[in-house]
This record gives sequence, structure tokens and C-alpha cells, in this order.
Amino acid sequence: MLIVQVIVNWLLLGSLYAAVALGFSLVWGIMNIVNLAHGAFILVGAYAAYWAFTQLHIDPFLGLPLTMLLLFCLGWIVQYVAINRVIRAPFLMTFLLTFGLDLLIADVVQLLFTSDRRSINTAYSGFGLTLGTLHIPFDRLLAALIAVLLTAALSLFLQRTRTGNAILATGMDRDAARLMGIRIDRIYALTFGLGAALAGAAGAMLVELYPFDPSQGGVFTLRAFVIVVLGGLGTPWGALAGGLVFGLAETVVPLLPGIGPGYDDAIAFALMVLVLIIRPRGILGKAFYA
Amino acid sequence: MQPPEPRSRPGTASTHMDSASRQLTAALNSDQKHETALLEVEHLESGYDETRVLWDISLEVHRGELVALVGANGAGKSTLLATLSGLLPAWIGHVRFAGYDITHRRAEEIVRLGLSHVPQGRRLFSALTVEENLLLGAYTRRAGSQQAIKQELEEVYTLLPKLRERRRQLAGSLSGGEQQMCAIGRGLMSHPELLLIDELSLGLAPQVVDDLLSALDAIHREKGLSLLLVEQDVQIALERADRAYVIENGHIVLEGTGSALLQNERVRTAYLGA
Ligand SMILES: Nc1ncnc2c1ncn2[C@@H]1O[C@H](COP(=O)(O)OP(=O)(O)O)[C@@H](O)[C@H]1O
Ligand SMILES: [Mg+2]
Repeated sequence: MLIVQVIVNWLLLGSLYAAVALGFSLVWGIMNIVNLAHGAFILVGAYAAYWAFTQLHIDPFLGLPLTMLLLFCLGWIVQYVAINRVIRAPFLMTFLLTFGLDLLIADVVQLLFTSDRRSINTAYSGFGLTLGTLHIPFDRLLAALIAVLLTAALSLFLQRTRTGNAILATGMDRDAARLMGIRIDRIYALTFGLGAALAGAAGAMLVELYPFDPSQGGVFTLRAFVIVVLGGLGTPWGALAGGLVFGLAETVVPLLPGIGPGYDDAIAFALMVLVLIIRPRGILGKAFYA
Repeated sequence: MQPPEPRSRPGTASTHMDSASRQLTAALNSDQKHETALLEVEHLESGYDETRVLWDISLEVHRGELVALVGANGAGKSTLLATLSGLLPAWIGHVRFAGYDITHRRAEEIVRLGLSHVPQGRRLFSALTVEENLLLGAYTRRAGSQQAIKQELEEVYTLLPKLRERRRQLAGSLSGGEQQMCAIGRGLMSHPELLLIDELSLGLAPQVVDDLLSALDAIHREKGLSLLLVEQDVQIALERADRAYVIENGHIVLEGTGSALLQNERVRTAYLGA
């Protein structure tokens, strides 16, 4: 039965990680920007959900659309005001800019909410499905389902809608997209807004599951990076595949004799190095996106 | 919308005079019921960053004309088309299209006015299907014109039947000829008045080139579509063109009817190996 529990834990964690990386993957794939402020957007999502829960008694899951809308607007504005200026600049410029944004946002969050750890306890926290010794917490199950749903929704949006196709086209060939009459500045703002909204969704779900403090943004940027490298750019499903591989490592490695828990960040780094050596393009990765 | 200021370059002093005299000529022309050209390019210069590629380019395309632009590799043909379609900013000079001054308009706006550019190397969205590529060609059509877009798609499929067979395939998986068909079809989906095609025949088998040219010929004749064709195969281009320009090192060095240029000594030695 232990093995089934491990598998269940892995699937729940892996799917959740898809949500962590989804927006990061979209922005990287379409805009060719490694957004170091991604973790900060997750942070804002987490604290927005925390604030809405403690002040307005809005359940983080029910409030998800609101959190996403808030982060969408934040991402849109950040893109228009800041990112637009460096979109064609060398990689280092976008690194510096998004790194600065990350610091700025994390500082503002800390100013507003102090550096105390925060967590949410809903009425259903701790409840779940129990089958014999197997236990599936409701909140984790819901978060995993929503993460998969978001992946599917993003994929459908990109593949099936006119605007989604315009986003993909802009990612594949910016000048050809302009020749089609696509306003790429708007496409970039939309893409960055969507990336932030997805980060916000991840944050709102994470704060429901784990205690949170303002120093954690960077950790999630790193994880998103590793997940995308593992899964490859090119499709939202890459984020899910990468999330599952990453979740597997984080689930299994602590069970190995002589290791134990507490090495999550080390695992992330080690995985990244491994993948970069073995498969520089990731697992599902296609070349076109980047 | 206010067009952006042109980048200041040396030698712009004469442009004000020009625009005054141009208005005069335009007025005279309309009095005499002369059709003004669909595309008018005057003293155009442009390039990349600090490198000037085009020098004092002037040319015209009239409604219903097939105009060829020929010249050696690196002469500046692609740069010229990119400047016309707004991908590159014009440094000096004027571009007018269908009565609009498009010199400083963005590519996204110019295609809406009816000038469509099929770039060198096709530049298809390779991970999208043929049909998705074609529909992106109709991106300028507003929502609510579903019917018109469907009809346009039907017309493109009728004109280039291979595309209908391949509609569900990824554009990246097509052969070179099929990709060129898809690129031209995509360019037609915006329902242009003028189609710029860069290197139609490059890398394609003669049979495929013939098919493409006769398809273009059909819309050229039936729909009155105007064409500006860039070709490295000078023979093919001059045989079909109403008029043609020869570009060397960023300068227009010759112009004339296609048949006249085919007889021209300079053209024959430099481009036809005669
Ligand atoms: N992206 C670019 N950046 C800088 N120079 C370029 C670029 N593209 C083309 N050039 C230069 O501009 C000149 C004209 O090129 P191009 O317009 O492509 O010629 P053609 O299409 O006639 O072969 C060449 O000297 C080429 O090296
Ligand atoms: Mg060229």
C-alpha cells in the first residue's frame, strides 16, 4: 500500500508543479524571456489569496478567477511599462530587468505582509478520501485537478482560437506575424498577462497547501526553470511532463536510504544540470517555440 | 495617428519642395483623369542600423500591373520589400500606396490597407497546419467576417488545390513547392490589392515554378491583382512582367518593359549569361 501512496503523492505534487511552471513556459516560449520575476508573481498570487481569505473570507479555490484576473492586470502593466523596452535587447538585459522586478515585488510584499510565515486553514483542510491506509487530501486533489485543467485550457486556447494562434505565430516568427497584421505588442502584453495569471493561480493553490513567506519567490522561479527545461518548451503539456518528472524526484529521493527530506533545492539543481547534459532540449521539447 | 518622426539623415533638405510639387502633379493628374499609381516609391533610402542598403529608390506599380524587380544576390531586393511592407523603417523618401502615405506606418497597418508581402524563405508558421497558416493570413479581417474568410479560403483552395489536400498537415512538413504555395495562399488571404513576392522560384523545381506562376497569372488576370515580383531567375521574371526594374548595389540602374529589358545588352551580359 505504501507504494500506491507514493504514486498518489507523486501525481498530486507533479500536477501542482505543472501550474507552477505553466506561465513561465508560456512567456519563455513565446517571448523568449526567462522571467526571473515569475516566482514573485506566484508570491503575489499567494498573498492575494491569503488576504482575500483572511479579510474577505473568500476561499482560495473559489477566488482563483479573481486572483488570476488581478495577476493578469499586473502582468499586462509590467509588460507594457517595462518588458516592452527590452524585448529585443540581449538576454542579459531581460535577466537584469526581471531580476530587479523580482526584488521589487518581493520587497513590496514583505512591506505589506511582514516576513512572517502565513498559511491558510480552510474548513476542509486535513480532510480527504481515505481508502484503507491510502489517504488523498481534498485540497491537494483539487489543486492537482485544477493544474491539469489549466494546462488543458491553455493548450486548447493556443491551438483552437484565433488569438491563441496569433500568440503561437508571434512566438514562431515575429516578423511574419507582423506581416499578417498581428499587433505583436498586444500579443506580448497578453502573453505576459496570461503568464502572470497562471503564476497567480499556482500561488493561490500553494498557499492553501504550504506555509508561505515573502522569501520564497526565488525558489519557485528556480523550480519553474528546471521543470521547463525538463519538459521542454513548445507546448503547455511540456510543463505537465516536466512537473511530473520533477515531482517524481522530489517524492522518491527523500525515500532513498541515507538521504531523507530537506534537499528539495539541491534536487532541483542536480536535475537541471543532469538534463542540460543529457537532453538540452528537454523531454517533450520542440525546437520551434524558443 | 501621428506617424513617427523619420530618423534624421543627411540630405533631407529637398523633401518639402518635393511634397509641394507632388501635390501639384497629383492635382493635375486627377484633372486629366490619369490613374495615379497604386504604389509610388520616391527617393527611398533605408538599411540596417548604420548600414545604408538602398539609395534613392524610385519606382511605381500601377493597378493591374505585374512588375518584376531583378538583381544580383545582396543588391537590396529583400530590403526594399521589407521597407515597403513596413518591417523596416524608411530613412528618407516617400512610399504611397492606394492614396495613403505609408512611409512611416507599421507593417501591421500596411497589410490592412491591402499590401501583402510574401517574404523570402516563405516564413511559414511551421508548427501550425496549412489551414491555420492560411487563416492567420486573414487575421486582418475583423470578427464577424467569418463568411468572407470562408469564401476567401475556398478561393485559395480552388486556386492552389494542393493546399486543400494538405490542409491538416503541419506547414513545416510540406515540400518546398507546397510551402511556397502556402505562403502565397497566406498572402492572398488578406485580400490584397498588391502582392509582393520575394524569390518565388528560389530552390523550386521548374515544373513547380510553372504551376505557381500560372496560378498567379490567373488571379492577376481575373481579379486584377497587382504584383511586384522579386526574382533571381531573370529570364522567368522578364518574360512575364509588364515592366521591370534592375537593382544593383541598392540603386535602380535600369527600368523598362519586360521585353525591352530582355533585349537590353547590359541585362543580357550581366544576368542572362549571353
Ligand atoms: N538583417 C540584416 N542586417 C544587416 N545587413 C543586412 C541584413 N539583411 C541584409 N543585409 C545586407 O543588406 C544588403 C542587401 O541584402 P538583401 O536585401 O537581402 O539583398 P537581396 O534580397 O537583393 O539578395 C546585403 O549587403 C546584406 O548583407
Ligand atoms: Mg533577397
